[in-house]
Amino acid sequence: MPLKPGDRERCATGVEGLDTILYGGIPRTNTVLLTGSCGTGKTSLALEFLIHGAIRGENSLFISVTENSEKLLANIIPYRFFDRTLVRSGRLVFVDMPIMYERLGLTKPDLSMEEIDLLVSALASLAKELGSKRLVIDSITSVCYKLKTSEKIRDFILKLSKALSDLGCTSILVGEVPADSTSYSSFGVEEAIADGIVLMANMERRGDLLRTLQVIKMRGTMHSRAKYVLDLTPMGVLLVPLLKGGSTQ
Amino acid sequence: MQFTSIGIPALDEHLGGGILKGSTLLVMGGPGSGTEFFAKQFASAGTEPVTYFTSTERDEDVLAVMREYGWRTDIKIVNIGRKYYEKVLARKLEVSRFRQEGITLSDIRKFRDQDAAKEENFLTFLAYEISKLNPPFRVVINSLDFYLENYESQEVLMAMRTIKAHTQHSESVTLNTMLKGVHDSKIQSSLEDLADVIIELDREKVGHEFKKYIVVQKVRNRPAMVGIIPAIYDRTGIKPG
Repeated sequence: MPLKPGDRERCATGVEGLDTILYGGIPRTNTVLLTGSCGTGKTSLALEFLIHGAIRGENSLFISVTENSEKLLANIIPYRFFDRTLVRSGRLVFVDMPIMYERLGLTKPDLSMEEIDLLVSALASLAKELGSKRLVIDSITSVCYKLKTSEKIRDFILKLSKALSDLGCTSILVGEVPADSTSYSSFGVEEAIADGIVLMANMERRGDLLRTLQVIKMRGTMHSRAKYVLDLTPMGVLLVPLLKGGSTQ
Repeated sequence: MQFTSIGIPALDEHLGGGILKGSTLLVMGGPGSGTEFFAKQFASAGTEPVTYFTSTERDEDVLAVMREYGWRTDIKIVNIGRKYYEKVLARKLEVSRFRQEGITLSDIRKFRDQDAAKEENFLTFLAYEISKLNPPFRVVINSLDFYLENYESQEVLMAMRTIKAHTQHSESVTLNTMLKGVHDSKIQSSLEDLADVIIELDREKVGHEFKKYIVVQKVRNRPAMVGIIPAIYDRTGIKPG
């Protein structure tokens, strides 16, 4: 899709349907909240975003907060396009956040404002060292548990987005919400600050549990706000419009 | 009555033969008063195997003093100070470096699981180590100040009660050193109350020199033994003079 004048450069996610929805991809340097309840495919989509980036020669960084990254890598969907040399060559890097906590002495359950700044600058300096153009934090909700108050969460996400954006990095923050939640984020703050929100959900239809994806908001581009059905396949994530016809209602 | 030596023969005499087996001693004084030195002289005496817990000195410093005065060096030194350095202070230094300079990918890759900060409770460690000793033993804890600085008073008191009870039942002896007038008076009084024998090392400036005293503050059930004894520090150690 040709860029119109004044249109921002795009960071193609490589997920075909999603790039179409976003008219070419996520506007570069945006920080996107990818949110949904468990089992909706957030991690898989985020990984695909990084793998496609790495294939295109963009250094990509995955910061794993909840799961050990080695375990994550072992359980990765056998994507046809995923080549382990991307990891070996350092194009795609996995880092465990708990190790960063240990190194920075941030193992307490509650972080102060000063420690939040430290964490942001450590993440930014790592992204800078690695020349990361794409970054995923999975999940930001787990980090937020250490921040406790909405002021601190706000502060953390604002500063982090700013720092990553200054480095020319396009970021996805994975958020977890309870299945019955009406909010896009656990703490209600993340969603207000992010440049974009992509909502993933489970939907039951005729006895099938469908995964759905919806772009709620995306600064710097037009986008469809329709709900799409998402399929996780070895070819990657496939998005098809949710057909209204045939529903039970 | 079963006595064992306090480490200074003339002081043993003054105490009517020494200290009772099963006693817990507290040696107090201001900085530079010689409490650590007294502790070493105590370690040099008796027939019991000696375990010397230190939180302030290096092993070689302890042994050097013992050798200099011709005292026994077959003592077991448990260096809490070094352990504290390795587990806590060295980590703090490392953390401050990472905080200052940021973390590189290689810092993250070099991390091994055993680097994870496991909170070690040195007070529990101390009590555990003492519980493992074969009685009768002779224990030196130099000094209580370390534990009082790092733990809640009540925790320290509880651990000291346990150690005292163990010392008593096993007819062993334990000596604690503590700075005087540094800790709040409530915990100091509680620790004094717990001790069977309290020795205070005191000095007084007379003209151009110090006059030194061994102040026997308390001997449990033998109040007649308390008193102020002028002391000399010479090549044999501390002695009443």
